[in-house]
Order: sequence, then structure tokens, then C-alpha cells
Amino acid sequence: MKFTFRVAPNSRSRQSTQKIMFELTLGLLAVFLFSLAYYYFEYDMSYVTHALGLFAAAVITSLITEFVWCLIVKKNYLKHLQGSFPWVTAIILVLMVPISMTYYALIIGTIFAILFGKLIFGGFGHNIFNPAAVGRTVILAAFAGRVAADLNTSATPIASIAQRGWLITDAIATEAFLESFGGLTNLFIGWYPGALGETSALLILLVGVVLAIRGVLDWRVPVFYLGTIFLLGYVIALVNGIGIWYPIYHVVAGGAVFGAVFMLTDPVTNPTSATGRIIFSIGAAIITVLIRVQANLPGGVVYSILLMNILTPTIERFTDGWQIERSKKYLTAIGVTFLIGVLLMGGVATQMEAIAADDPNDNGEDPIINLGDPIGIFADATSRVPGEVLDTATDGNEVTFVVSSRGYSVLEGGYDDAKPNVFEVVIDTSDNTLISVRVIALNDTPGLSDPVDSATFLDQYKGLSIEDESITVDAVAGATVTSVSANRAVRAAIKALIEDGGDD
Amino acid sequence: MSSVLLISFFYEKGLGEVMSIWIGPMQKHVDGHKELTNYNDIVTIKAPKTVYIPLINGLSTSFEVLVKEGDRVFVHSKVAVRNDNFTVPLFSPVSGVVKGVKKVMHSILKPIDHLVIENDGLYEKAETLKPLDHQSATREQLIEFMMEAGIVGMGGAGFPSYIKYKFAKDIHTLVINGVECEPYITSDYRMIENHLDDLITGTVAMLKMSMAKKALIAIKKTKKSLIKKVENAVADIEGVEVKAVPDVYPMGWERTLVYQIFKKRYDKLPSEIGLIVNNATTAIAFGQALTKGETPVFKMVTVSGDGVKNPANVYVAVGTPTSEIVAQLGGYAAEDVRCIAGGPMMGKTIVNDHFVVTPYTNAITVLKTTPLDSIACLRCGKCNDYCPAGLLPVRINNAEESNNVDLIAQLRADQCIECGLCSYVCPSRLDVTEGVRRAKKVLQLKKQGG
Repeated sequence: MKFTFRVAPNSRSRQSTQKIMFELTLGLLAVFLFSLAYYYFEYDMSYVTHALGLFAAAVITSLITEFVWCLIVKKNYLKHLQGSFPWVTAIILVLMVPISMTYYALIIGTIFAILFGKLIFGGFGHNIFNPAAVGRTVILAAFAGRVAADLNTSATPIASIAQRGWLITDAIATEAFLESFGGLTNLFIGWYPGALGETSALLILLVGVVLAIRGVLDWRVPVFYLGTIFLLGYVIALVNGIGIWYPIYHVVAGGAVFGAVFMLTDPVTNPTSATGRIIFSIGAAIITVLIRVQANLPGGVVYSILLMNILTPTIERFTDGWQIERSKKYLTAIGVTFLIGVLLMGGVATQMEAIAADDPNDNGEDPIINLGDPIGIFADATSRVPGEVLDTATDGNEVTFVVSSRGYSVLEGGYDDAKPNVFEVVIDTSDNTLISVRVIALNDTPGLSDPVDSATFLDQYKGLSIEDESITVDAVAGATVTSVSANRAVRAAIKALIEDGGDD
Repeated sequence: MSSVLLISFFYEKGLGEVMSIWIGPMQKHVDGHKELTNYNDIVTIKAPKTVYIPLINGLSTSFEVLVKEGDRVFVHSKVAVRNDNFTVPLFSPVSGVVKGVKKVMHSILKPIDHLVIENDGLYEKAETLKPLDHQSATREQLIEFMMEAGIVGMGGAGFPSYIKYKFAKDIHTLVINGVECEPYITSDYRMIENHLDDLITGTVAMLKMSMAKKALIAIKKTKKSLIKKVENAVADIEGVEVKAVPDVYPMGWERTLVYQIFKKRYDKLPSEIGLIVNNATTAIAFGQALTKGETPVFKMVTVSGDGVKNPANVYVAVGTPTSEIVAQLGGYAAEDVRCIAGGPMMGKTIVNDHFVVTPYTNAITVLKTTPLDSIACLRCGKCNDYCPAGLLPVRINNAEESNNVDLIAQLRADQCIECGLCSYVCPSRLDVTEGVRRAKKVLQLKKQGG
């Protein structure tokens, strides 16, 4: 008979950190699955494959990073893993990046997240900063332009409203703007392009409710964070006389809901008292909205988390004491933090100005467009399926051609209703140079071919001599066939001009 | 400004229920395992050949032994009395011969003096107490009787009950605590069920002694049939009511119970806000003393847990060693167990089974030894949210680790009652409560030093 000693209590709750992390992982996977479904139905399998690849790359990188760490500090890897959970950080990081992310950037981001975000502080439980936020910041700062060459989606809600100075006062413009994402309801459901896991507020909130009920995360954090974002958005809306859609947009667009449920709730980098976590959440909300409307930076949520992480020890020190005795002080501190936010936002709101979108065709797309290999305007490819001139107009020395040119959807897409692209080519006959090339209709794969309709690509034609058969422009990476179709249109226009001249 | 309105609303509400939003719920439902002993038969344990009466009350071991080696004693014979600030007599549960005083391991984890009595098996009774009619007796007579009968807090604390009534002033309500929030323990429940008359006699007498207008018998909401039974029994008794309270831990702790019912907190004693709180089994013991002249020498004890073959409530003589009780119940269910004096939350783990039943023992919990793998604290703050004393256990642990005595004092580690809930909820399986215990010791040392 053996009587074992253990300090009281001898009864323990069934919940363990391992179970918490397991359930959190399941929640994250649900969000990832939604994302896969979106890219499968709205784009194609190649997007799904890429997303899965990113997921695998991040998770494997996180595991390898911890393995190498264990080798260096001479720890038992499997035992270490039981109390480390690197995959959670990796998955959160994957869910925060857009589909166009490159493996390279994500892997570097993951290594930074695990190594500099967690391990060097002493591992799980000791890190000061949210590791996933560290990783995301590295990617934002170092690889802003590094997006996968062959994948592109249309503009995200955050980028779109950011281009308008985070303010739209005109009612008609508002409606058109919201409609570009299928309205507020669709924004809430999340069927639009954005970071992989950040779009579906609905799903994330559902997962959040389940996780809160199961004691995996503290309900206070998402409730106070999103609640404050909403109320601060409401203050801006009141000051500028805009509708309730505005605070809702602040909550559902971008990473706020994702951050609220999966990142701010990271217990390790949070204060440990209930009041501390409430102040932490309200503070993060104030910073998030400030970064959005003032700094107009991407990643407001991520930066707000990291900034509040810095304040965690301070908040912790403030709440140190006997909670019962200090209850009123706590409540006052929460109220004061909130009031500071409201007053600050009231002041900021009066300074905000709506920026009108320059071009109705320009729906505020991602300004970063990657150009790939040069393609010749008089190359073989352009002679094979020549463009058709639909219309010609002459205005002094300027001759304008409207040219239909078969692109990806006709040549390779094989759709039933595939249509060619239509371009407007303007040539200066005084010195035989191109004045401009403009897109009239783009009928190739939406999203993929969109960057062709951008100044980055089209401005390359300006000033090119039509007499020089070696002229080239750089194709839009990932939309080469569409780019070539633009070249065909130019060649057809030049050909038509020369033939016209011959007739005269 | 809606937020200002909201805040003032909270202030006006007296920070009642809403307070859990920013300081946590301060209580939690825990796995009860009560079904193990809730319905089966109560087993009477035969008193062993030798009984060891522990000469201890609370933490005081200052006793005058009234008998000497070779004396013959009877059931209910007064054999010793606490002789410091309080008067607490101890009685013999058997008839037989005194064999002297011996140091034996006790459930406070220290060896203390026990009076050894050899049981002659005759159970001859002494008339130490004469039954007293509580209706005709004066308040002073009742308080004197309570002291002479050795009635102490039977819930586990063993605090002499008469003190509460002797100095009663402006008491408006007497709270009879039948909550029994510790997991596994059902002895209070079974006592109330089987000794309803004694409970009511004791309660009515205590109500008189307290000069309060009302007595509330607090029982967990989940014990519906018991509530109905007690309600029926007190239906005709003026001033006695049943109060159903939530099934959470530690609802049986005085402060949590008082806050639940009255939404008020007190500094040191419930009497500050006009309350006396006594355990239901204390009222029963008092009722038995009043009506039958019995002293508290037999005790209902829950012996439960997965470490005993046949968990049951036992009726056992004070001074009976645990080994004897477990043996009569059919033995242990495993080779490696944790033997706990009390429930699994607050009871101390004893590394042998020689410790004996005291007048205020309510449970012996035996659990199979299972591995406890702890990992790093993930700072989830659950211990802070659930601490019924409103402390920040993880911060106290941090302060203790860095030996920051001032911070420990600021964090009010002295307010900890060691209920164990912080360790219970800890998902990283850390010994949070133990850290707070260490911190409390650091504070005590500092106090003594300066």
C-alpha cells in the first residue's frame, strides 16, 4: 500500500491547456475550410492548392523551427511540443495573409513569429508579444510587394475604404461602394477576397461563441474590443453625419473580428485580470481605429495588438491588488479608457476628409502589380490571332482605334460565352507614337486579368514608336495572355493606320 | 453619453451581479461525484479496540486532560477540555480504560497528543448532559449548554459555536449552512435527511440565542427533494425558511454564501453585518444534545473517491483511525492512493491512514494516484476570475517566485482561504494554491520579523 502525497487541492478540472489548444486549432481549421471553399467556388482549384501549400509551409516551418531550437538548447522535442503549440501560431499567421502570399515570405514570417516572437523569450507562456502578430508584421514590413506571381484577387474592403480616406459621406457613393462587396450582409458572411481567414465575421463569431462557452477564450476580449470599435466608428459616423453602416463596416471589414477572437484573446500576452483584459481590449480597439483612419496603414489590428502587448505589464501592475477592494477603481479605469477613446475619436473625426475615388472604373484595387517578362508588340504571338478594329475616329493628329482582341477566355478558357477584350488605342500621327492604350472591356478571368487595366501596365505604351518593330511592354505577371491581347490590339491599330495611310 | 449612464447604473446597482464582468464570477461549478454516496446505505463502523481522542480544536492543542491512566470512562464522559481562550470539552465515544496520552499523526499533518482509551465494548453511558427544553430555557442557559456540550463548527472548522451567540449583537438573520459544496462529500446532506427534527430543534434554539428574527437554511438548488422535505418540515415554524442557492464552489464558504444571499461583504466576521452562520450539522449536533443529552462523539463521515472499494457514508466514533474505517468498508481499490482528510479541494493529503476522526471531520476522500503533468502558465487568468476571495492568485504566485514581499502584501495573500479553486481551474495543472500558501507564510514571517 502506498500513500502518495500531493498538495491540496487533489481535484482538478478536466480542462487542460492541451485541450484548450486543440479546440482552438479546430476553430481555426473551420475558418480555413471556409476560405478554401471560397477560393474553390469563386476562383479555381489552383487557388485552393496554393492556400493548402501556404498552410503546410507555415505549419511545417513552425515545427522545424522549434525542432532546431530544441537541438540548440538540448531539449526533448516531443516533450517540448506538449507545452509549446507552434502550429497554432502558424495557422493564425496563414489565416492573416492574402492568397497571393508567397511561400518565401510566409516561411520567413513564420520563423520570425516562432523564434523571435516566442522562443527567445523563453517559450510558450513567457513571450511578451503575440507571436503571430510578430510574424505578420515582419511580412507587412519586409515583403509588402512580395505576392505570388500567378495569383491575384480584386481589392479588399479595407484597401478600398482606405483609398477613400476611411470616409464616404455621399449616400449614392456609399451604396455603390458597399454593393461592390455584395452589401454589408455579404461582408458579414465573408464571401469576398481578403486575408485567408479574416473575411467571414459570421463564422469567426460563431467559432468564438463556441470557444468562449467552452472556456477556451475569455468572452470579455472580443466583446469589449469589437464593441469599442463599433462605438468609436459610431462616433465618427455621428460627427460626419453618416449612417450606421460605417461602424458596422469597421467591425466586419478586415481583420478586426479575426483579431478579436483569435489574436487578442491570446492569454499569454494579455493581462491576467478581468479588468486588465477589458482595458487591454478597449485600448487595442482605440489604436485599431486610430491606425485605420489616421495612419491609413494596413494591419491596424496587428499593430494595435503589438502596441497593447507593450502595455500589458503596466496594466497588470495597475490591477495588482485585492479585486473586491478595488472594484470601483477598476470600473472607473475602464470608463476613463473608454472615454479617452471616444473623445479622441470625436476630435479625429472632425479632421477626416472623404477622398473621392478618381475613376469609376478603378474600384480601388491593390496598387501593387507585378510585371513579368517583356512581350513584343510585333512578336509572333500577336500575328497569329490579330485584333479586329471595331471603330476609328480621327481628331487632327490623333487617331483613335477601338480594337477587339481575343484574350485568355476565348483562346484558352473555353467558356461558352467567352468574349474578347476591347481596347482603345490612340496614336499620334504627327510623330507616329502611341498616345495611350485604355481598356474598354476586359472579359478575361475576373481578378486574374484585372491588373492589366492599370496604369502600371498600360502606361508602358505611352510614347512608343509605332515604326519600331522591336518595341515591347512587360506583361502583367499571371495575366500574360491578357497582356498579349493588349499587344494584339495595338498591333491591329498600327496595321489599320498604315493601311489607311496607304489608301490616302 | 450612454457610457456615463451605463457606469452610473452599475454604481447604483451596488455592483451586484454585474461585478463579475470586471472581476470575474468568483465561483465555479465543480464536478461533485456526489452520486457515489448520495443514495446508498449508511454504514455503522464498529468502534475499534483502541480509540485515540485528538487533543486539538482548530489549531489549538492547549488542553487539560481530566482523566488519568487507568481511569474507567463511559460513553459521553468528559475527558479533556480546551483551556486557552475558549472552552471546548472533549468526550469519550466508548466505555473503557484510559491508557494515557500518545503523540500520533493528525490530519493537520503534524503529530499531536491523543488521549488513548481502550474500548471494553460495553458502551455504558455516562449522564454528562441533561436534556434541556429549549423553549423554556433562557438564552443564557442555552449558550452555557452549547459550551458544555462541546458544540463546534461541524463543517470542518471546529470553531466553538457558543462564542458566536455569547457576543451576538444586532443580529438580524441566522444562516444555517447546508450547502456542502466540497466534491464527494454528502454527509451533511444525509444528516439533514435523517435528522430533520434535530436540525429544526437546533435551528430554533440557535435562533433564540442569536436574537435574530429569521433563520435561513441554505441548501443547493440542485437538491430539490431535500429542499421540499425541509420546506415541509419548517412550514409551521415562524421565522425559519429554506433558501436555495446555486450549485457552485465554494458556495458553502461563509463569505460566498453571505454574498449570494445578502449581496454584502464583511471585513472579518458576518456579525458585522448582522449575521451568524452555522453549519447544518452543528445545528443537528446541538439539537441532539438538547433533546437526548448526547455529546458529539459520533460523526457521520463520507468515505468516498475512486480509491476505496465501497464508498459510503459511515457513522463512526470520534477517535477511530481511518485505516479501521476503510478496512470495515472493504479496503482500498488501488495500491497507490492519495488519502485525504476531508474533501478533495480543501482536505490535506496524509501519507498514512493512521489519522483519526475528530468531532468536526466530515469526510475522508481516497483517490487513485494519477500523474499530474504541469506545463508553463499560459496566463489565462482563470484563477483570478474564479478566486472566491477576489484575489489574483497568478500574480501572488509571480510575486512569491520573485520574492517580492511588498507586492504579496499588496495582493492581499492573507485573504486566501485555501479553497483550492485556483489550482482546480488551472489548465496548466499548476499548484497555484500551494504558491499562495507559500506567499501567506512569507507574509506571516514578515509580520513576526517586524
